[in-house]
Amino acid sequence: MTETSQMTSTSQAGPAGTSPPQPSGGGPGTGGQGTGRVSPFGAQGWLRWVWRQLTSMRTALILLFLLAVASVPGSLLPQQGIDPAAVQQYYTSHPALAPWLARLSLFNVFAAPWFAAIYLLLFLSLAGCVVPRTFRLARSARALPPPAPRHVARLPSSARQQTDRDPAAALDAAAAVLRQRKFRLRTGDGWLSAEKGYRREFGNLLFHLALLALLGAVALGGLFGYKANRLLVSGSSFANTVTALDTFRPGRLVSSSDLQPFSLTLNRFSASYVTSGTERGQPSAFNADVSYTAQPGAPVRHDVLRVNHPLAVDGAKVYLIGHGYAPVFKVTDGTGKVVFDQPVPFISVGNSGLTSEGVIKVPDAQPDQLGFAGVFLPTAVDVGGTLESAFPAPLLPRVSLVSYKGNLGMDSGPPQSVYQLNTAHLTQLPVPPRPLAPGQSIKLPGGAGTVTFTGYREWISLAITYDPGQLPALIAGAAALAGLLLSFFVRRRRMFVRAYPSPDGTTRVDVGGLARSDPAGGFDEEFAGLAEALRGAYAGTTVADDPQLTTTSPGERD
Amino acid sequence: MPINQGLSHFSDHFLMVALLLYFLAVLAFAADFAFGRRATDATRSAEPAELVPAGVAAPAAGGAQAAGADGAAAGPPAATATSSPATAGAGTGGAGTGGAGTAGPTSGAPGRPGILGRRAGLPAGPWVRAGLGLVIIGLALHIVGVITRGLAVHRVPWGDMYEFVIAVSCVAVIFFVGLMIKYRPYYLGLFVMAPIVIIIGLAQTVIYTPAGPIAVALNSYWLAIHVTAITLASGTYVVAAVLAVVFLFADRHSRRVAAGLPVRNGEVFRLLPSPERIDQLAYRTVVFAFPLWTFGIMAGAIWADQAWGRYWGWDPTETWAFITWVVYACFLHARVTAGWRGRRAAYIQLAGFGCLLFNLLGVSIFVTGLHSYAGLN
Amino acid sequence: MSRRPRTPSRIRVRPGRAVTTAVLAAASAVALAGCAGGAIASNTPASNGQSFVAGSPGTTLYRAGAGPQAPAVTGPVVGGGRLSLASYRGHVVVLNFWGSWCTPCREEAPDLAALANHFRSAGVRFVGIDIRDSPASAQAFTSDFRISYPSLNDPGDTIALDFRDTVPPAGIPTTLVVARGGRIAARVIGPVTYSGLKSLIQRVAAQPG
Repeated sequence: MTETSQMTSTSQAGPAGTSPPQPSGGGPGTGGQGTGRVSPFGAQGWLRWVWRQLTSMRTALILLFLLAVASVPGSLLPQQGIDPAAVQQYYTSHPALAPWLARLSLFNVFAAPWFAAIYLLLFLSLAGCVVPRTFRLARSARALPPPAPRHVARLPSSARQQTDRDPAAALDAAAAVLRQRKFRLRTGDGWLSAEKGYRREFGNLLFHLALLALLGAVALGGLFGYKANRLLVSGSSFANTVTALDTFRPGRLVSSSDLQPFSLTLNRFSASYVTSGTERGQPSAFNADVSYTAQPGAPVRHDVLRVNHPLAVDGAKVYLIGHGYAPVFKVTDGTGKVVFDQPVPFISVGNSGLTSEGVIKVPDAQPDQLGFAGVFLPTAVDVGGTLESAFPAPLLPRVSLVSYKGNLGMDSGPPQSVYQLNTAHLTQLPVPPRPLAPGQSIKLPGGAGTVTFTGYREWISLAITYDPGQLPALIAGAAALAGLLLSFFVRRRRMFVRAYPSPDGTTRVDVGGLARSDPAGGFDEEFAGLAEALRGAYAGTTVADDPQLTTTSPGERD
Repeated sequence: MPINQGLSHFSDHFLMVALLLYFLAVLAFAADFAFGRRATDATRSAEPAELVPAGVAAPAAGGAQAAGADGAAAGPPAATATSSPATAGAGTGGAGTGGAGTAGPTSGAPGRPGILGRRAGLPAGPWVRAGLGLVIIGLALHIVGVITRGLAVHRVPWGDMYEFVIAVSCVAVIFFVGLMIKYRPYYLGLFVMAPIVIIIGLAQTVIYTPAGPIAVALNSYWLAIHVTAITLASGTYVVAAVLAVVFLFADRHSRRVAAGLPVRNGEVFRLLPSPERIDQLAYRTVVFAFPLWTFGIMAGAIWADQAWGRYWGWDPTETWAFITWVVYACFLHARVTAGWRGRRAAYIQLAGFGCLLFNLLGVSIFVTGLHSYAGLN
Repeated sequence: MSRRPRTPSRIRVRPGRAVTTAVLAAASAVALAGCAGGAIASNTPASNGQSFVAGSPGTTLYRAGAGPQAPAVTGPVVGGGRLSLASYRGHVVVLNFWGSWCTPCREEAPDLAALANHFRSAGVRFVGIDIRDSPASAQAFTSDFRISYPSLNDPGDTIALDFRDTVPPAGIPTTLVVARGGRIAARVIGPVTYSGLKSLIQRVAAQPG
């Protein structure tokens, strides 16, 4: 605190040219320090004080901890960016609480402004400390070790030795030993100073700077990258353009024309399942046989898309995320015209037999619009009266449909989900419940039409991503790890040697050592080893050391 | 490739026997506390200030008798740093502490303070030797159990939660045995092995899953990289957490002693080294684990990019791994900040361990995300 | 990371510190922008399972002669035959990207049909481009809404891709108005209104060549 007040009093007279000191009550840290001078803080002083607080270790600790605490709700509450359906679910099950949580951005924690504030402040604090230290390191990287203190024997770790050799020779021998152990040396008249461990600070700074670079890489991806999803039925194809995607999440600076213009066709999808044992029904492999062109007009290529084996095309990556069944339906309306004839993707309800649900909407059927809610069972077996799917492969595919007619609600209003039927204005048709095998059809009562289950196909869901920050993030991560290892396992050490001619003709050698920061302990044995090595370096007889002198070691240093 | 059920059962049997041996080792370590040789005043000499690996020769002999009285090294040649002048008076018999001149290993003789203070320098008592022997044999069986499970399922044996917990406990025991050999913290035996026994017992009963084929999404060579790193780091963090708890108790005890307050279980605490050294050992353990954990997160991010299309998506497991990393980073920063060492740092470390437990076990059980491969229904 | 105590004589605003601050401010601004952009942007559909990108509604108008040249569009017509946009050179062309499954497209369909009839005598040609529909659904749609103008089927999204370098359809529905000379004059993302599209067409039709 004292130094802060000293700082501010001089900063007033600094090149910033603020007003001369006035006897007003200052901000924190000024006045009352016993100096007798009360200097005002001023705007610049305040900024400087804030900056000092921000870049202090204590603030960094608090912000780090806050970052961890702030991440907790993001992992326990459903998040909008990960599982929007779960968020909706939360709204229905907690109708009073949910809006308040939404106001606090707790359904989108990691994009929330307060979360951004925490990590931005943290990185600011980090940068404010690391960047000046980098400059300092750059300046001192070539600097020589400091000269040896006059009373080496008073250092916390020290030893006193005697040798027959003359002082210069003793120092040379010591220099040789230390040089061998990678110390940087500086010699003077009768003394030797050695230092090593510069890489520790370098590693420390590299780690923290790499974290800053990581943030930059994430920002790069957020600005220029995009994520998209598309569900593709086998036999059909799509191109990477906005109208063809199911969801499109572009970065800030991404527009529709920035998408890589590749086209992809799903030729065949095959899934294999475990057929016996306790894991019966568990999938064992997914293979999507695709052909693609990188741009319109480019040669057609083939690939097999699998989980953990994405397809890289033109800078974007295509991932196989999920799969399911798309039974094919043909609907004839009341006038006898075929008004619908295409596969309909059904979504798995989540059980191991891949029972899937879906909806067929025929809005252009005459005279009434038709809608169907269906359940597809890949291997349908009768279990106590209800139909269940016993195995995920299509060994015995059946579809059961509930038929409706009326107004689907698609002609106006907000867009509807393709997987949900809005039955508000529909009337259910009385049709005897009968599961359909491929090829079978239902004749709808009242001349409303017929619906035929003609067959089934499979669909895959693809994730298309482009992230230019990916490689920089990887490099930053690797650099952080390297910096971390360096900063942990390189030890900063200083050794000092002074040689004096003793009255009895021998030479007295004082050896001392310092550990710059030693949170793990262990310097004393290292120093002892060094002293031993130095002693061994002096050729010639070694007189026993003076037993009166203590080889001291620090107490528990805090 | 079909699962080899025979090998899988083999693995289960080996693990059961290992568990039994660990349990007996816990009894042995407890017996050492109860019946083991007490440190007497003559041997309870000044504590060395720094943590030093056993077997390193040092010219300095703390509290050593003057050069010449050392005699031959007997017992484990535990090298010591020297005592500070403040403690030199305690029990050294007033002999001047030896200078740095004595050559060769010293302080091996009985009565020298070893690296762990009061009881070091003493040969390990019969109970400790029995306990350690049981642990080592049990560890061998444990490793065999892990390997046979891996052979049974034709992949690295950490693909579901049961296998993962078994592997983590194996790593913890390996690390513990390594510590025992290097630093001889005999007091640690009881406090590390007892939780290990509980963990393995729970794994074999509550979360046991029979050997089965791996989920498709996990079928990648990244399993061997990412999960191995996380396993190694987690096992080491377990040991660090045990050390933190022991430190807190020892620190509380020494404060109460210093303040003259009545203490309980003083016998037990007299057998432990100073809280500072326990703290240092805990710090070193975390320093070993932290880069592994960082690497594990990075490898996980690379794998996530391969499998799910993004290297970081704030999936609950990813988020908690991040939280764990941040809290341990807090601990490392705290330890170099004046005023935050000691108890506060230990609390932060335990908070980090709590986050680790939630990350590995809680998230899989309570929260659904992309990482739900626990094998539990 | 504590600071070394400084002696007063060394307190000065060093250039290094100013540079540091400036760099940091810039970096934070970039990061803030980037991170916010990483979240779901405004033109993504609500989380209700609809399987298309609605796009952020809006109209873009190009100055006369300043819009990009429309690409050569050609393809099979729903109901049979082939059509090429080149055959409409000299006419104002309205291109509408639609799908029978898309509610906003159904909402604007009557207006489009009416406008097509209204402007037929003026020589304005309407062409639909059908996205993700089977031929049966497409035919049912055109007869249901009595759409008299032809629609091209675009199962592989090749037509949409053709527009990528010019004025891409950034959602469904999208309506493009192409001037007589073949340059794209306007784009409407989202459903059109009768009066809105009418005035747009009249404006483009009034442009020379």
